[in-house]
Amino acid sequence: MSNSSIDVPPKGGFSFDLCRRNDMLAKKGVQPPSSFRKTGTTIVGLIFQDGVILGADTRATEGPIVCDKNCEKIHYMAPNIYCCGAGTAADTEAVTDMVSSQLQLHRYHTGRESRVVTALTLLKKHLFNYQGHVQAALVLGGVDVTGPHLHTIYPHGSTDTLPFATMGSGSLAAMSVFESKYREGLTRDEGITIVVEAICSGIFNDLGSGSNVDVCVITKGHKEYLRNHLLPNPRTFVNPKGFTFPKKIEVLLTKITPLKEKVGVIEGGGDAMEE
Amino acid sequence: MEAPKTIAHEIGGIQNDALRFGLHGVKSDIVGSHPLESAYQSASRTQEEMKRKVLTNTYGSAFPLKRDLEKQILSRFQRPPGAIQSSMLGLEALTGTLDDFGFEDYLNDPRDSETFRPLDMHHGMEVRLGVSKGPICPSFI
Repeated sequence: MSNSSIDVPPKGGFSFDLCRRNDMLAKKGVQPPSSFRKTGTTIVGLIFQDGVILGADTRATEGPIVCDKNCEKIHYMAPNIYCCGAGTAADTEAVTDMVSSQLQLHRYHTGRESRVVTALTLLKKHLFNYQGHVQAALVLGGVDVTGPHLHTIYPHGSTDTLPFATMGSGSLAAMSVFESKYREGLTRDEGITIVVEAICSGIFNDLGSGSNVDVCVITKGHKEYLRNHLLPNPRTFVNPKGFTFPKKIEVLLTKITPLKEKVGVIEGGGDAMEE
Repeated sequence: MEAPKTIAHEIGGIQNDALRFGLHGVKSDIVGSHPLESAYQSASRTQEEMKRKVLTNTYGSAFPLKRDLEKQILSRFQRPPGAIQSSMLGLEALTGTLDDFGFEDYLNDPRDSETFRPLDMHHGMEVRLGVSKGPICPSFI
């Protein structure tokens, strides 16, 4: 009997149902919606003497519109590994969540702490399989038994291993800070200062980045997630009178129908079934 | 090969649905609907072949053959067609997908599809026994 005669249950994944139809429509002259939303982010990471520091801004853009002023771009991967994501927000979140689940499964299987290279391999394998259609540019950092590690992963699946790394549209501004100020053997406070400065240069010089600074410090056996570590763009004006809403929505009718009258519960039926 | 004696069940008529898949063409059959789709399928096939080659080089040619046999046995070990889908636990343990967690596990589950076709148990059993053709569980109406 050949293999093809055996039907295993179908699985999900990407759906290509509409691609052929869209191709045909494009050939017939239908204009596809041309609003590809520009993404923008500054994410950075560096290795200091005890571990890894990751940093990110908190602006989420929808083309020219800022749709979230305080989003989270540093994602959890494992207790000792975190990952910053740039690109399409849904893709970075889906990929990091999926790989963190995979790492959890792997930890249950082996009973050991996850390694950063495991996360790296899983991420790059996945991104390469999808040939850049999963738009996630990542900075992966963590500390495991072999020491601190920092990697950048590009959307097509290529990776770099670096002592300091930046990603996103603000990466050039942030990299200029790193290239002038990074050295080996930074202390924790010095490292945080440089990371904050790099993110701030992204916030103030790149239109796609803005709002606050998130920082995550990972050391051996310990991590510290400093959410909104710095708020360089506070809200300057709040209406001192507050906002009043003149009229509440009126309740016109209240009617309660008890379920018990409609549904009768017969007890003892379950026992009869089991016998 | 002799000609099949049974009439192919044209379930769903997926291939001829011009509204959903565009007009039928030879090229689109070969290339697939999207370059990513064919690349993804060929990548998984190459990976499997590579794994097989590695196993042959390490343990000898008998080992992958035995694995293929086990795979066939385990993939045939399924629940009767009905409300509950087979979990394919044995097969997943053998192929290693049990320890994996990918997009196919949680995105676009065919059972959650709005065009999901309720399973016909009798048809499913006929397919299983080789009386009629077609996928046991076509996912499109």
